[in-house]
Amino acid sequence: MRFKKLAAVGIVGTLFLTAACGSDDDDESGGDEGSEDSGNDSAFAAPDPDTEATLRVWLNGPDTPQTMRDYAIETFKETYPNVTVEIEEQEWDGIVPLLTTALNSADTPDIVEMGNTQAQGFEAAGALVDLTEVEGDLGGDDLLDSLKEAGTYDDKFYGLPLYAGARVVTYRTDLFAASGIEVPTDLEGFIEAGKTLQADNAGTPNFSGIYFPGRNWQAMLSFLWDAGGDIAVREDGEWVGQLADDGSVEGLTTVQDIMENANQAPADSDDRNDYIEFCANEIGMLMGPGWKSGQIAEECPEMEDKLGVFALPGSDGAVAPSFLGGSVVGISAKSQNTALAYEFLKLISSEGFQTQYAEAGLIPNQKAFLDKVTGSPGAVAQAEAAENSRFTPSSEFWAEVEGGDILQDMGTAIGNGDDVADAASTANDAIVEILNQ
Amino acid sequence: MTTVLSEERTVPGPPSASGGTPSPRRSWRPPHLLPYALTVPALVAIGAGLGYPLYRLGIMSTQDYGLRQQFGAPPEYIGFDNFTDILGDTYFWEVLRRSLVFCLLAVALTMVGGCGVAVLLGRLGRVMRTALSVSLLLAWATPALTATVVWQWIFDTRFGIVNWALTKLGFDYEGHSWLAEPLSFFTVALLIVVWMGIPFVAFTLYAAMTQISGEVMEAAAIDGAGPWARFRDVTWPAIKPIFVVLVALSTMWDLRVFTQIFVLQEAGGISTETNLLGTWAYREAVTGNHFGKGAAIALVMVSITLLLTVFHLRQMFRQEEI
Repeated sequence: MRFKKLAAVGIVGTLFLTAACGSDDDDESGGDEGSEDSGNDSAFAAPDPDTEATLRVWLNGPDTPQTMRDYAIETFKETYPNVTVEIEEQEWDGIVPLLTTALNSADTPDIVEMGNTQAQGFEAAGALVDLTEVEGDLGGDDLLDSLKEAGTYDDKFYGLPLYAGARVVTYRTDLFAASGIEVPTDLEGFIEAGKTLQADNAGTPNFSGIYFPGRNWQAMLSFLWDAGGDIAVREDGEWVGQLADDGSVEGLTTVQDIMENANQAPADSDDRNDYIEFCANEIGMLMGPGWKSGQIAEECPEMEDKLGVFALPGSDGAVAPSFLGGSVVGISAKSQNTALAYEFLKLISSEGFQTQYAEAGLIPNQKAFLDKVTGSPGAVAQAEAAENSRFTPSSEFWAEVEGGDILQDMGTAIGNGDDVADAASTANDAIVEILNQ
Repeated sequence: MTTVLSEERTVPGPPSASGGTPSPRRSWRPPHLLPYALTVPALVAIGAGLGYPLYRLGIMSTQDYGLRQQFGAPPEYIGFDNFTDILGDTYFWEVLRRSLVFCLLAVALTMVGGCGVAVLLGRLGRVMRTALSVSLLLAWATPALTATVVWQWIFDTRFGIVNWALTKLGFDYEGHSWLAEPLSFFTVALLIVVWMGIPFVAFTLYAAMTQISGEVMEAAAIDGAGPWARFRDVTWPAIKPIFVVLVALSTMWDLRVFTQIFVLQEAGGISTETNLLGTWAYREAVTGNHFGKGAAIALVMVSITLLLTVFHLRQMFRQEEI
């Protein structure tokens, strides 16, 4: 609870910044607010409370805790006692191909969750219901701008932001104390701390000072951006690759230094099971989402008082740029329960549901809920990290880059000790080809 | 290929009915149609099960079919652009070369290993033979996905038993990634594919070997033929036709290998360096959302398999004529 204020301040700060980079084009539908109830001919008119149906909701990964799922199901039952809500958990890994087939089948789920970098492909393809006319009732202009952008394609609103999360460093306070290190204040200090931990714990098998598996591309981006690099920028309607530019290569060289000298995670694995290895006493620091410390504490409660979280510092001593992840939810265009699904979306965009995300270490989807945040250390650090958050190229084809494992494979090559410039150049060519198709 | 085989299996009725015993009464037509009529259910099943997907595949390969088309947008016909695109792509030739080499090695190892196990089956005592047969059956019956996941665990970087054992034996294999380097990746993949392929080959060849009468072998032995000479001059000619068919079947299976490669790719390694034709088609179509191009790759793959098989079977029949 004592972190509450700090977290709230940090998050509000973030949102002013993200608000500044949001587009101005999607403001027009704000006028719909309140007028919705009168329009009963709309596909979104509230269904009769006696309606009998099954509403299938797909949520991905462990990000939305079970308590929140139960809360949503029970709350929905109060209004629609005859509707069964089935929340099915899908794996984040491979979600795009899964949705590609599932959304197009007769057996489609009614509501699906997508990563903020993955949603635009489905929006462009017409796989989701256009929510533009009811945007106001789902949060409207109060929704986090950057995520709202991910939910918007061609000025139409399809994907309701669900939550956001920036990447933070979760570390072992006891190991820091044993090695006599303080929380680092710049990037160099961070790497130094990682190498010190690595050396001091050399007796622990598989120990990583900074756990950095090759496929953790989201963490890699911080180093790339910190060194002045980027993935690609749009110039005159064309995407221009920047991954092989000097800044990017410099950042990736730093990544290689960490992977080789402060890390023993395999170059060809990802961060999916990092919390298990953290619990197995094999990790000094790891870079992950804000809820990672919560996940670790749940897996091994004895670790709870040895957990610390901080925002990755940049080379200039300020907070390093970090990837702002998040997700959006949409209604399948093939759903037979559009109106019910819309009611459910209203529920999960409500204060009662959204503030629970904040408690779970995530950033809720609307600015108005931010002062309700009761922050864990993870949430505080995350709010700080989110102050300097950046995104992947905003393109309907970005999901292909992710699905094609291009950055993941680049990370594997770098972790294997391959030439950084070569690996970056290979990935750069592949990304440019996809984005400019 | 399945289509051709099953049709041939059902069709032989008519030629013998009409050609073998020419009916003196020409007015009796219906009986001649009966054999054909009997093939109708099979043909319908094949047509529905294989014909339509194949038809869709063919159509799709001439279209620019992406995510939008998947969700209802009308596809654009682009003729043979997908095919020229593939054939002009150096990556295709790289993947093709990789697939052919992998297939060649897998078939060779499967046949040699299977033949060895078949000989072994013939020489073992009853108890051991039963034990070996059961083990082979279990390996054969394990679904490819399950088997691959288990093998992947065996070779797992952090927790795999292979690394553990090698480290215990004094080698530095702590945290060694077997899948990171393509060569090492394909060695593991080859091991899994061969492991799964051997039982079928072994059983079939063993069955063929049991057809050789004991007297012939005995006579050969009395005439002074050693074990190798007996195998080369007695066993081999007897099992050769079956061996050749098995090579054809294995070639087809190993050229279109998918599950083993795909699961290993998910576990580690760099997918662009380890794609074979099957996984490449899948990645283009499903993760890349280029369904048209994926369909074209699949068709190219089928053509290559057919070419290889036809070539191989022709060789076989030619040799038999001599």
